[in-house]
Amino acid sequence: MTAIRTRNLTKRFDEDVIAVDGLDLRVEAGEVFGFLGPNGAGKSTVIDMLLDFVRPTEGDVTVLGNDPAIDAERIRRQTGVLPEGASLYARLTGREHVEWIGRANGATVDADALLGRVGLTRDEADRAVGGYSKGMRRRLALAMALIGDPELLILDEPSAGLDPTGMREFREIVRAEADDGRTVFFSSHILGEVEAVCDRIGILNDGHLVATGTPDELRSNLDLGGTISVDVARVPDDLALDAIGGVEEVTVDETTITASLTDSTRKIDVVSELDERTRVLDITSTGTSLERLFETYTSSEREELPATDDELTAARIGVGR
Amino acid sequence: MSVRAVVAKDFLDARRAKIVWLVGIHYTLLIALFFLYVRLGSADGPPDLLVALWNMVFVGAVFVPAIALVAAYLSIAGERESGSIKHLLSTPVSRRDVVLGKYVSRAGIVAASLVLGFAVAAVLAVAWFDSLHTAVFVQIAALTTMYALAYVAVAVGISAVTASRSRAMAGALGFYLMTNLVTLNDDISGLAGIEYVLNTVLGLGIGEDPIQFVGMLTNPTRAYLVATVGVFPDGLLETMDLPAPDTLSWYVQPEIAVVILGLWLLLPVLVGVRQFERANIS
Repeated sequence: MTAIRTRNLTKRFDEDVIAVDGLDLRVEAGEVFGFLGPNGAGKSTVIDMLLDFVRPTEGDVTVLGNDPAIDAERIRRQTGVLPEGASLYARLTGREHVEWIGRANGATVDADALLGRVGLTRDEADRAVGGYSKGMRRRLALAMALIGDPELLILDEPSAGLDPTGMREFREIVRAEADDGRTVFFSSHILGEVEAVCDRIGILNDGHLVATGTPDELRSNLDLGGTISVDVARVPDDLALDAIGGVEEVTVDETTITASLTDSTRKIDVVSELDERTRVLDITSTGTSLERLFETYTSSEREELPATDDELTAARIGVGR
Repeated sequence: MSVRAVVAKDFLDARRAKIVWLVGIHYTLLIALFFLYVRLGSADGPPDLLVALWNMVFVGAVFVPAIALVAAYLSIAGERESGSIKHLLSTPVSRRDVVLGKYVSRAGIVAASLVLGFAVAAVLAVAWFDSLHTAVFVQIAALTTMYALAYVAVAVGISAVTASRSRAMAGALGFYLMTNLVTLNDDISGLAGIEYVLNTVLGLGIGEDPIQFVGMLTNPTRAYLVATVGVFPDGLLETMDLPAPDTLSWYVQPEIAVVILGLWLLLPVLVGVRQFERANIS
């Protein structure tokens, strides 16, 4: 079953501003989908269209089998939403927020247990939200999204304003919700958190979906080789590692030589070359994080990058899946 | 109906806003002051409650719209600007539910603050004046409440069609000036404006009554003032230099004014619902 499906989804504001441009997106039921892109890429506009806050200029959307323009109430009944940049009600307490959402959804809520789960104490729950820190507001907003046993969670930049501990706790909650069979649609501009928690990732830039796939697929499609660091007894004088195919950049820091590669199968050539020339003490090999991929896709100067032609071809493979 | 969920949350939130109560308490104090003024000022014979009630109508004509507008102009636009409307619209409610729920909630708050004023007025009436005039008092209170709710409807309507606090404020303030403050001076009132356009500019030679009717249609304050005339006995109207209703055309009678006031309770909200259903909330 498909939880979210968009076809040629387009939104123009004031005729000449295109926020979302011909988006074809499919999110399967039960998966955690990371919707990744820099600020201003159009992520929030897409989410706004899923929930009928904003109506598409062109194209269609279905969420849990319903068209938001016709059946927004049904979608909202089955969906928990953590909106971005939406303030809470300063005069109401945390508990009142949770009780209100419960009543509106016709759900019974154990406010203490729920707020405890997102890390708010009983004392904090009874304070007006006007006195909450940014992180506490975010925790409360997540609690509100979890109410009413939703089939789908839509989380827009959920970790904004959280410290690292908070971000980890959020990821654990998202994972646990997904393990209960819920679909999670998770937008972020931080690759690290999406990579850590998502089954599949879609990268949005300038209103276009530039790549989709599992984190591994994206990595292997692009064949990004990663880096290899070798500790040696002595750095050879006339080292010419750049001559090895696939080696992109070589840096030397005292006795540690680090080579970044576009092709991981050439790592062994780097090690053999060094082994012939000097004594190898230690080897550290790392795969490429998606960070580079993300930067490649979303950098405004990506036309100037030498490797982009290959990568764009690979991206088309990803999109076409 | 999910209007109830909107009302419950909004009532909880808005009744904790101090500004609404501040304006409501000023209204009560002003009523008390005018009652005191009439009580002390009547040198010849016992003071007449009807004169005090007439004053209450005029205090109300100016102050009640202010209470209503202040209580409701941010009800939707404020939530749009702060983004909290996204939390509200993430619950299973329709946009129509949001507008209607806001209207019911803010109308309830305004009515409650008026009841406070009426209660004080009733106590003073019993304590200070010779005759109670219960029927007149109750009718004035009912018409004033209706008048207040008409302005709540306008404020919720304005709030539903604007996306920011500043625009909602400009709209509410503009409506208040156009329909209320200028009405207090005959030379620059809406009626004078309508007469100038129809008779002086277009030369249509239209009589006083049709102009009064257009004034009632376009201005809830005018409709309220005409409606209250029907509540007072003719004798009082003569001393106020006002024409008795039976000398006027049927369509400017107080009963018609009440009907028009009733339309003001509904139409602005319906326009608000229509526009809000089409709006982009981003």
